[in-house]
Amino acid sequence: MGNYFNNIFRAISTIAVGMAETWKAMFRPPITLQYPNERWQLPVNARGILFNNVDDCIGCFKCARICPVQCIYIDTVKALPDEDLGKASMGNPIRQHLVRFDIDMFKCCYCDFCTTVCPTECLYMTEEYENGVFSRENGIYHFSKYSPPEAMALRRREQEETMTKALAKEAALAAKKKAAAQKGKETAEA
Amino acid sequence: MNPEEIHQKLQAKFADEIIAVNTDALDPYIQVAPARFLEIATFLCEDPALSFKSLMSLSGMDYGAETELGVVYSLHSLAKKHKITIRINVDRTDAHIPSAETVWRTADWHEREAYDLFGIHFDGHRDLRRILCPEDWEGWPLRKDYIVQEYYHGMRVPYQEDWQKYETFSRNPERGHHVFEFESKVPGLLNGSQENGDDSAGKSEDRTDG
Amino acid sequence: MFGNLFKKRRYIFEDESTMVFDMDQTAGRYYDEAMKKLEIEAYEGDEMIVNMGPQHPSTHGVLRLELVLDGELVKKVTPYLGYLHRNFEKHAENTSYNEVIPFCDRLDYLASMNQDLAYALAVERLIGLNELPEKVEYARVLCCELNRIASHLVAVGTFGLDVGAFTPFLWAFRDREKILDLLEWLSGARMLYNYIWVGGLARDLPGGWLAKVREFLDYFEPKMVEFNKVLTSNHIFIERTAHVGILDPDVAVSYGCTGPVLRGSGVKFDLRKDEPYSYYDKFEFDVPVGDGQFGPLGSVLDRFVVRIQEITESVKIIRQALDGIEPFTDQDVKQAIPRRIRPAADAEMYVRSETPRGELGFLIRSDGSDVPSRVKARSPCFSNINVVDDLSRGGLLADLVIIIGSLDIVLGCIDR
Repeated sequence: MGNYFNNIFRAISTIAVGMAETWKAMFRPPITLQYPNERWQLPVNARGILFNNVDDCIGCFKCARICPVQCIYIDTVKALPDEDLGKASMGNPIRQHLVRFDIDMFKCCYCDFCTTVCPTECLYMTEEYENGVFSRENGIYHFSKYSPPEAMALRRREQEETMTKALAKEAALAAKKKAAAQKGKETAEA
Repeated sequence: MNPEEIHQKLQAKFADEIIAVNTDALDPYIQVAPARFLEIATFLCEDPALSFKSLMSLSGMDYGAETELGVVYSLHSLAKKHKITIRINVDRTDAHIPSAETVWRTADWHEREAYDLFGIHFDGHRDLRRILCPEDWEGWPLRKDYIVQEYYHGMRVPYQEDWQKYETFSRNPERGHHVFEFESKVPGLLNGSQENGDDSAGKSEDRTDG
Repeated sequence: MFGNLFKKRRYIFEDESTMVFDMDQTAGRYYDEAMKKLEIEAYEGDEMIVNMGPQHPSTHGVLRLELVLDGELVKKVTPYLGYLHRNFEKHAENTSYNEVIPFCDRLDYLASMNQDLAYALAVERLIGLNELPEKVEYARVLCCELNRIASHLVAVGTFGLDVGAFTPFLWAFRDREKILDLLEWLSGARMLYNYIWVGGLARDLPGGWLAKVREFLDYFEPKMVEFNKVLTSNHIFIERTAHVGILDPDVAVSYGCTGPVLRGSGVKFDLRKDEPYSYYDKFEFDVPVGDGQFGPLGSVLDRFVVRIQEITESVKIIRQALDGIEPFTDQDVKQAIPRRIRPAADAEMYVRSETPRGELGFLIRSDGSDVPSRVKARSPCFSNINVVDDLSRGGLLADLVIIIGSLDIVLGCIDR
């Protein structure tokens, strides 16, 4: 019986102690924020949506290679010898047209590897974190400064170049063979 | 007890079973034959000098697509504070190892995991079924020669990046970059099942029927 | 009256060391068998199969438990895993050593720093990189212990929610938020940090961060006293939890339980003390173990109290680490990061470290290339949840909820 009343007494007393604490908490200022109107200030290095400053991008593929989930897609077209694409702001010469630089932000795991390897520091994470979109395609970001027809023209140019090169190589090879055959004939005749 | 003493202790009792021993490796290990493993495990656990009461990790291994499968038992003794690694190699096509489930209870789920991911059968295990993958999954995912099944209940399994094929770009000033706005959608999804969509649909039906 | 309900099935010991398991009583069973049993015994009266989960709030994730109930009594619990399975180990086999770290973050997403440290340690031992700058080691200890506090706050807070106390839950999350802010300032991310790299850290400590940590500790310690007044010392809470879910120490060892679950049963085993890694051998701290003050040893309450005490111990460690890092703040945290990680062929090592949930071990095997040949993650929750059948059998259904809460599982860690 004594145990029974002891239990009741201890329950009531410990609850009273707890209630005193919660009562104190009532008079503290709230720590919550009214989200869409008020926001926390993010730290400098906060990881949000990736952004690429294409003017500085040299198309080195380092970010695409280190990405653990392969969410960066890059296509480049080599510049012609007489073309001058300028330099990135850190002094690295740009030698290729960046016809495609796509980032799939749905696949991105926000690991920050790509920004650490970037040699020109053109790829960085913004403070923007509200990445909700209504269709899946809108989560894929395109950073290339070439419009689709321009990119297509550049790609075609490269294709043609490689084709002409291959043709020239073939022709040169054929000529060489012919010459060799001729020579062989001549020596045989002689 | 250092690994050499443990080896000698095992050698005295199971001389025929020990295949290899390496005490200079990063984790000193003793490789044993699978046939009498249950006895060895019981001995390791119960011998008062060894007293390997805790099985830290039981890990399936695949040493390459043409070589053998293996199981690695990392053992630790709470009382004696020593460690040893036991390795067992088994044939790839006929992987059977006696289950140590009754010796260490933690081996129960770890063996199920090794069975699930490597297809190593543990003889004598009372409840050997898949634990992480679904019951009707095909193949053993962590083997080096594993090829993922193409369809599972009509769902395509390998991730397919359809969006790479899309062509339409347009400038979207709102986002500040050039952003997709789609006109031509997934081929074969909206325009009826044409081209590549066609055979995949047929395949999935076959799978679900079978 | 309910005394027989709490009587636990014990393992039969033939002598001191032999364990014999009764076939009918252990966890091995098939779904079909259970169904058959249902058909037969359902007519006889009382047995019922109930699915708890995978979308049940008290299973702390997507865990599915199949319960065989006799009225309110639990006869059997069969956990079904794999709802969050993404095969981390296969991912790891296809990415280089450094790129595995973001995947490690996602194992136990409540304590990512500890997962990173465990993996980084394993690779460092594998390539023989044992000497790191002091600043790196101290900073690692700092952020791991901060993360341990955050993780334990979630554990004790949600445990309060499981037994029906709502206020401590909000208070715990309020304080955890402060830690997450600190770690976000450090690494840029709130939960999945990718901060501890092999051989170093991803970024230097920001200026003023150490002072802020000190400030946080001064704020936090009185808050823990408040928390204990509200929940831990509450008599009703103690009576609710002190007689439920008794885990015997020998059973815990046999099941491979680690961390607070093992220590709650009175086994004093902490890898930070017993196999010190990083700089843990330089700090003075206790390893709290369950004492069974209010009921049998190894109860739900013991595991809870161990976590509460570990928070205090972590605060102690952080204070010492803050003092220890002072002379080394000028060091470069990236100087020891290896350019290329390429362990010797056939090097294989099992390295374990203490995370908030127990022993996380990585068994890494190298084939001499840039990519690991095998990465096995021995997750603590995977072994800890195995024991749920043993704990809850013979108890009430309502007790099962707090037993799961006391095991403190994270499904990302179980399913990998």
